[in-house]
Amino acid sequence: MTAPDITGPVRPVTVPARPVLAVAALAAATVAWAAVPMSGARAGARPALIVAAACAVFSVAQLAAALLASRPGTARRDTGVYQAPLPGFIRRAWDGVRAVPWPQGLTVAVLGLEALHPARPWHTVVLGVVVLAFLLALHLAESADGPAVLRPQLPLIAAGLGLAVVSAGAAMLPAVSSGSGWLTVIAAAAAVLAAALALPV
Amino acid sequence: MLTAGPQRTVAVTWRLSSLARRLVTLALAALFLAVITRRAEFAGLAAPALLLLVPRQPGRPPSVGVTLAAGADQVTESEQASVLARITGHGEGTVRLRLLPAAWITAGPPALGADGWYRLPFRVRHWGLRPVGTLEVILHDRWRLTEGRLTVSLPAVTCVPLPARLESLVVLSKLPARLGEHAARATGEGTEFAGVREFVPGDRQRRINWPATTRRGTLQLNTFAAERAQVTVILLDVSTDVGTAGESTADLAVRAAAGTAAAYLAARDRVGLISFGRQVRWISPAPGRRQADRIMNMITFDSGDGEPLTSVSRLPNAALPPGALILVVSPLLSLRLVEALRELRERGFATLVVDVLATEPDIGSGLAGSRDRAMARLARRMWRMEQDAIRFSLRELGIPVVYWDGRSSLDEPLAPYTRRVMVSRT
Repeated sequence: MTAPDITGPVRPVTVPARPVLAVAALAAATVAWAAVPMSGARAGARPALIVAAACAVFSVAQLAAALLASRPGTARRDTGVYQAPLPGFIRRAWDGVRAVPWPQGLTVAVLGLEALHPARPWHTVVLGVVVLAFLLALHLAESADGPAVLRPQLPLIAAGLGLAVVSAGAAMLPAVSSGSGWLTVIAAAAAVLAAALALPV
Repeated sequence: MLTAGPQRTVAVTWRLSSLARRLVTLALAALFLAVITRRAEFAGLAAPALLLLVPRQPGRPPSVGVTLAAGADQVTESEQASVLARITGHGEGTVRLRLLPAAWITAGPPALGADGWYRLPFRVRHWGLRPVGTLEVILHDRWRLTEGRLTVSLPAVTCVPLPARLESLVVLSKLPARLGEHAARATGEGTEFAGVREFVPGDRQRRINWPATTRRGTLQLNTFAAERAQVTVILLDVSTDVGTAGESTADLAVRAAAGTAAAYLAARDRVGLISFGRQVRWISPAPGRRQADRIMNMITFDSGDGEPLTSVSRLPNAALPPGALILVVSPLLSLRLVEALRELRERGFATLVVDVLATEPDIGSGLAGSRDRAMARLARRMWRMEQDAIRFSLRELGIPVVYWDGRSSLDEPLAPYTRRVMVSRT
């Protein structure tokens, strides 16, 4: 078995700054969209906003750290056997911070923040679009892939957004917004479906 | 073309991708809020995430085939090399490779060639036997919902030191009578013009110098310098190693020794090596490509098969043929080596020292008191004076000492001795 010649050109080593900036912009947009206007929100909106902002910051920091660590040519420096207490504590704390799923926290926090506002169906649907865009951009940045890899998902994303628009329209109908019980049942069934899909593979 | 290794089958650990976990979180949170707040728009907000999760299918390959090929068995410091990898049996999913470099390895970004092989470029920054690192393969299914990971250890690569540049050679005035390329003082059958003498019967007529014959009225003959080979023995002192890794005295010494050996062997000289480290090891002088490989191996690897330094009272005669030029590459920190140099000089060897001490001891850097700092300054001065005394004593013995900083060409410090022949007193 023979392998090919290796004399081909090698791409230069670059730090991917653009994906991080895109993710940061989408994270900021998500938090800002969920927060405004703060004047009409119920109690608890301010702590939720703080949590969401913190999750956004840590999500971006986590992504930047992961990209820096995976940058070609970089290897984690060996700290040796003995380490001073303060750097050791900072290192362990940073490792702990990196292990937290901050994007999931941001998702939950912004949805909670949105729920603390008065009902505004179209605003909520737009928030869903921004959150989805944030999650997809984050995935693309982490995997260092281009948007083309999401082409198979485009019909599903379009269908999902269509359903979201339909739900927003339905929410504006007086019968549904008054709070009938069928919505609860449907939502519970969908939750079961989501849980089934999330079972370990 | 390179010979690739056999294909290995490596098991893949599959799990939900981070995208799938986040979509699940979005869907569950939105549905929970829809139930709690009884707001239908939250249920609709979960719809895109749920739809994106639907296509997840079982039946991913439990293992994939990995074929590795090394670009070269041996590389030079800072030279770019590559590992080639081919992943098969992963189905329609995408593959991403990442080289997790080991110490002293700088990895470049992997690139997929049109032939289906991934090229993983890397550079080795320090000589020695270096493990390249591990290859991490990340597989995604078509829908990016599951992620498979596997790691493969990459083989070690032999990295030889980057030879110092040396173009002009130090040549002795007396050369052993062997065929070579250095013009000797004696006349012979070489090509370099040496002078004119009177013709005697038996001389070749084609060498008659007709202009000189016309002027002097008798037949005059051109004479040429004999071409001889030189025997050069490189004494590599790695008994002490100080300075920052990569630029330490041992690093500079091995680079200088590698460059010197390569330059003399390229001139078809006979080159030997004495490694003066934890043990004393040596290779008797010989010419040729194979000798170059032997010397490079001895420089790069510490095989541990030499004589312990403490049991060696003098340098081995077998490695020091009479009339040899001894090129010493050393930081001159070992008094045992300095004694050996004195003894070499007493035995009549033409010796030249390339000093590679490019660092000073870190004395008193953490001291705060003015008295302590003054003591540190004094200690540093004493150390410098001691080093100067060692070099002065060698020069007094007739052993030139030149300083090489490790960055410039070796031609610069050796220039006073390469412009004319070095007088041998044997």
